[in-house]
Amino acid sequence: MDTGSLNRRELLSRIGMGMGTVALTPLLRDAGHLQAAEATAALTPTAAKPPQFTPKAKHVIHIFLNGGPSHIDTFDPKPALEKYAGKPIPSGNLATERKTGAAFPSPFKFSRFGQSGIEVSELFKKTAESIDDITVIRSMYADIPNHEPSLLLMNCGEARLPRPSMGSWINYGLGTENENLPGFVVLCPGGLPVQGSENWRSAFLPGAHQGTFIDSQHEKIEQLIEDIRNPRISPSRQRRQLELLRNINTEHRSQRGQDPQLDSRIHSFELAYRMQMEAAEAFDVSREPRAIRELYGPGPQARQLLVARRLVERGVRFVQLWHGARQPWDSHTDITDQQTLARQCDQGIGALLKDLKQRGLLEETLVIWGGEFGRTPSVELPNPLIGLQSGDKQGRDHNHHGFSMWMAGGGVKGGYVHGATDEFGWRGIENRVHVHDLHATILHLLGFDHERLTYRYAGRDFRLTDVHGSVIREILG
Amino acid sequence: MSPFFILFCLLGQPPADSWKSHWAAQPTARQPLPSVKQKDWPNARIDYFILRQLEEHELQPSPPADRRTLLRRASYDLTGLPPTPEEIQEFENDASPEAFVNVVDRLLASPHYGERWGRYWLDVARYADSKGYVRLQEEPRYHYAYTYRDYVVRSLNADLPYDQFLLEQLAADQLSLTDDNRPLAALGFLTLGRRFTSNKHDIIDDRIDVVTRGLMGLTVTCARCHDHKYDPIPIADYYSLYGLFASTREPANLPLIGGERIKPVFYGDRSEYLHKREELEKLQQTKHTALLNTLRADTSRYLVQVLEGRKTFLVPMPAETTDVRPTFVELWIDYIQGASRRQDPIFTPWHALAVLGLEEFSQKAPDLLRELSRRGPDDRHRVNPRIVNALDSAPLASMADVARTYGELFISVHNQWQSLLAQDPRATGLADPDEEELRQVLYGPTGPFAITSKEAVAAYLYDARLNTKLAKAQNKFDLWLMETGQAPDRAHVLVDAPAPYEPNIFIRGNPDRPGPIVPRRFLSLLTEGPRKTFAHGKGRWQLARAITDRNNPLTARVLVNRVWLQHFGNALVSTPSNFGLRGERPSHPALLDDLARQLIDGGWSIKDLHRSILLSSTYQQSSKDRPECRQVDPSNQLCWKMNRRHLDFEMLRDSMLWAADRLDLSMGGPPAPLTGSTNVRRTIYGTIDRLDLPGMMRTFDFCSPDTHSPGRFSTTVPQQALFLMNNPFVLEQAQALVGRVKDRAKPDTAEASPAETIARLYALVLGRKPTASQTVRALDFIQDDASWTELAQVLLLSNQFLFVD
Repeated sequence: MDTGSLNRRELLSRIGMGMGTVALTPLLRDAGHLQAAEATAALTPTAAKPPQFTPKAKHVIHIFLNGGPSHIDTFDPKPALEKYAGKPIPSGNLATERKTGAAFPSPFKFSRFGQSGIEVSELFKKTAESIDDITVIRSMYADIPNHEPSLLLMNCGEARLPRPSMGSWINYGLGTENENLPGFVVLCPGGLPVQGSENWRSAFLPGAHQGTFIDSQHEKIEQLIEDIRNPRISPSRQRRQLELLRNINTEHRSQRGQDPQLDSRIHSFELAYRMQMEAAEAFDVSREPRAIRELYGPGPQARQLLVARRLVERGVRFVQLWHGARQPWDSHTDITDQQTLARQCDQGIGALLKDLKQRGLLEETLVIWGGEFGRTPSVELPNPLIGLQSGDKQGRDHNHHGFSMWMAGGGVKGGYVHGATDEFGWRGIENRVHVHDLHATILHLLGFDHERLTYRYAGRDFRLTDVHGSVIREILG
Repeated sequence: MSPFFILFCLLGQPPADSWKSHWAAQPTARQPLPSVKQKDWPNARIDYFILRQLEEHELQPSPPADRRTLLRRASYDLTGLPPTPEEIQEFENDASPEAFVNVVDRLLASPHYGERWGRYWLDVARYADSKGYVRLQEEPRYHYAYTYRDYVVRSLNADLPYDQFLLEQLAADQLSLTDDNRPLAALGFLTLGRRFTSNKHDIIDDRIDVVTRGLMGLTVTCARCHDHKYDPIPIADYYSLYGLFASTREPANLPLIGGERIKPVFYGDRSEYLHKREELEKLQQTKHTALLNTLRADTSRYLVQVLEGRKTFLVPMPAETTDVRPTFVELWIDYIQGASRRQDPIFTPWHALAVLGLEEFSQKAPDLLRELSRRGPDDRHRVNPRIVNALDSAPLASMADVARTYGELFISVHNQWQSLLAQDPRATGLADPDEEELRQVLYGPTGPFAITSKEAVAAYLYDARLNTKLAKAQNKFDLWLMETGQAPDRAHVLVDAPAPYEPNIFIRGNPDRPGPIVPRRFLSLLTEGPRKTFAHGKGRWQLARAITDRNNPLTARVLVNRVWLQHFGNALVSTPSNFGLRGERPSHPALLDDLARQLIDGGWSIKDLHRSILLSSTYQQSSKDRPECRQVDPSNQLCWKMNRRHLDFEMLRDSMLWAADRLDLSMGGPPAPLTGSTNVRRTIYGTIDRLDLPGMMRTFDFCSPDTHSPGRFSTTVPQQALFLMNNPFVLEQAQALVGRVKDRAKPDTAEASPAETIARLYALVLGRKPTASQTVRALDFIQDDASWTELAQVLLLSNQFLFVD
């Protein structure tokens, strides 16, 4: 290919649309003359690209406990609630989505784990075995106590308007290390979470950066990835087909002179052919030794956690694991549901952390755990009209004022607690971390200044953190 | 409200002076034809402008494309479909100089022209058949969105002048339509955006965006939170347009549309339809009346709540009987805020008292009320004496007392009216004009109670269970209607509300922080002299007139550029939806001007614009690479050749069905999902679900329908190849194609020879004969019957099929 002088305009026209709405500002340092390699990168938007500075993390596994895991029952013990059990919380209740009443201490037991002695509840005791590799952020906060805007805020950095998701931004910034697999994979057993594909959309970024959704309830590769297998012909016959195709295309190209579009498309069939093999292999957990499978345990949660490790091992940039369709962690009526849910994933999460570590992958893989918000320290009041609450069960409402998330690997500190909520767990009060700050930190760990990872659209430069966010320096290892 | 633009906002004043000298702000004018050396090359005005710049760079244009290539290019370009083998042969045999002119005329007259170019417009209009994510019970589909899509296709086919096309899309409800009211569907341009879980500020923002960026290349929504950083668009202008759109409403019952005066309500069993509809309306009416009366009787509590202010990020939630409905508090706030702008005689005391501090309240309130009570009935700022008296006789220590006093007075008027109605069901008002004025707040067409049952359901004003029941009843009826397939067309219209909305600037875009009041009017940067306020009932008509004004420097330029982009794959202005100071400069400014003026002077005919372009030598050049030119102009900005382009998603899917002879060319009507193999209609008629756009559409760069799209990406990723290699849709077309080729052989004496079959496959897929070596290669590939389908698929996957030279 001719490497002469592809100018910015040409590059932009090749990327698409033939127009300059695309500002690859941080990626293309020289707007005047670009190297051919960069031009090809633009034509195939998923090609690997360098970050802005040397990062710790290369991959992200985001474990999304959708619905709102309770910080008070998992990573943020609040013994003060015991004192007021069944009585009004002296500091009063904050406004949340629904009405809540008296103090509701956690029914679960907390213990200290690891060298660091961080307290974690029995719900995540297997996860807690790796606490010395984990930074727990106990002072998270978001903007609103409703699922939809909070999901979008957590995923796309904006509560309502269509903006690209974090996974899309990261793939836009870094490309994939493995062209044979999608760079952004979204796994969710049983169907779509609330807000559906808007959680992993690419919005105005190229469609290739959108998350590839996979219903991880299935086990067969044909059901997992669209078009990954030809339902009619064997691989060897397909190979013959592709050879004929390459001959025809090569001849066609030779009559037309230089045109990277033609080369790129010829190449894409080769990549696709290999993707069939590699994706099938990546999702096939039966290839794992028995000991590993037993470490993760049974069930779809364990399976998708193991798949996540296999994917990042193969260079997938961003894997998002949802607990399930709709919002399983939304325990309005019975907080003990969270125990049931935790039983489904705790062993697998613990196994993932150990497994990544023993393979030396934890250093370059950032594991993020959390939901869209936490839950109230007060009990949700019965509301027979909407059929919520019944009998003697007790649940908690959404709480965006304060909640916990944790991160492990990828350059974050281990055995460290950042920030705190108030005495009762209502509100983050010490070293508060907004979702925008979390995003800024994640991008930092991946080698990006969140203020410089931008995209020109509709007349201005957009970024994941909008005009907000600062990196949480304290948690960097 | 997230203040997106604070960053921009910290920096200085909008550069009005730079705008005055900005290229896009200059009036458009016909340009003198540049002189050129190669005088025999130009075939159209365009060519002089192109050739002049080529010669300045010492470049030669490319030779013309061969006839087969040119026909394929023009056919795809104008109709999105390839030429038939017969059309190719005919064109190749027609040596007359008029041959290509005839081809262009034929293609422009084809109904498939509107399907192709309509799709481009639908990208601009961020068209979809659904609202995006909706909460709980809300129906996510726009059942009649397709009438907008069909309107666009029909209008383009009819070569509706572009200014009229825009006028209808912005203000069809304000035109005097005859019996044929189908242009009402044009309002889908405004109404069919995302619904942002019913957040009205975002809905309006989306509408401002599609109008300003889509039609004029101005990024006006950058001024939602503060003055635009680059262009002279002050925040006041944003809220001037906000006020225009906030003055509209979408009726609960969408109007029937059709070409005849009498529009049937249902094509099937009419009595069944009427019965179902009456059942529904009866249920809605009974419950709605009861709801409004409950809310009226609860006015004191609501007015006290008003003092708490708006809830940021209000998301409607199911509520219990006794709960205050935050969404209804919001309606009261809107009304009372509006009252301050209207100098409303009832709420003037409210606003006057609201500025008093708590410490001075009980002391100063009586004086203030005394002052107000002195105003006579003819005073421009007169006050309603009933309310002043009520306030005067109540002990007022704070606004809460004021709110309760208002509430009690409203409730007593409500009760009075109800007892009057009980005695005389035909009563039209209260006798006392002051009381009647109060009653109007509770019962009038502009008050907070002037909401439809549908709006009440959307706002969760009913008790949770009832709310769900009503929503389900409506959804069930709508769904039944659509599924009968007997529903007449309706239009997603909007109309002006009974009273206009007088906008405030929202400081930092935050509705909780209303700033100065601004008039509803057009953008300052496009208005000479004093700006007229938009008249309520005619405002969108005035907006459309301002946008399509002969002297508006942007509208025609933006359209010409969009059309050029689709014909050449390169735009003259590479930021098609940003013609502001930060947009790119045009590569050929004089050409853009000349074409824009030609468009306006020629009566805004888009088909004439296509003709000017297609009949130029520039358009008819070969797309072959020429290294010596590439050295000088690698991006082909100078148009030294035609750009090779690949079929987009719609063209690719349509072409496969076409090759297989399975493409159903029937036009218009409700959409059907594109996934699966039963839908063989043109892709433009496929369902576009904002919430769940099929992966294959995103993979093939279909634009995101969430917002206005300036243009599509054109990427090559392995997922596209996977679809083509393995998706059952592709395999079925390959199989059908082979069936078609072999079927044709049957009536012949014997079976067609393999070489003949290969020739036929090449003709149908690639529009040409195979070379001898290609035939040999294909023959080598055939090893059994199944190989034929595999061969056909290879041709459908080939670059020659996908790319248009």
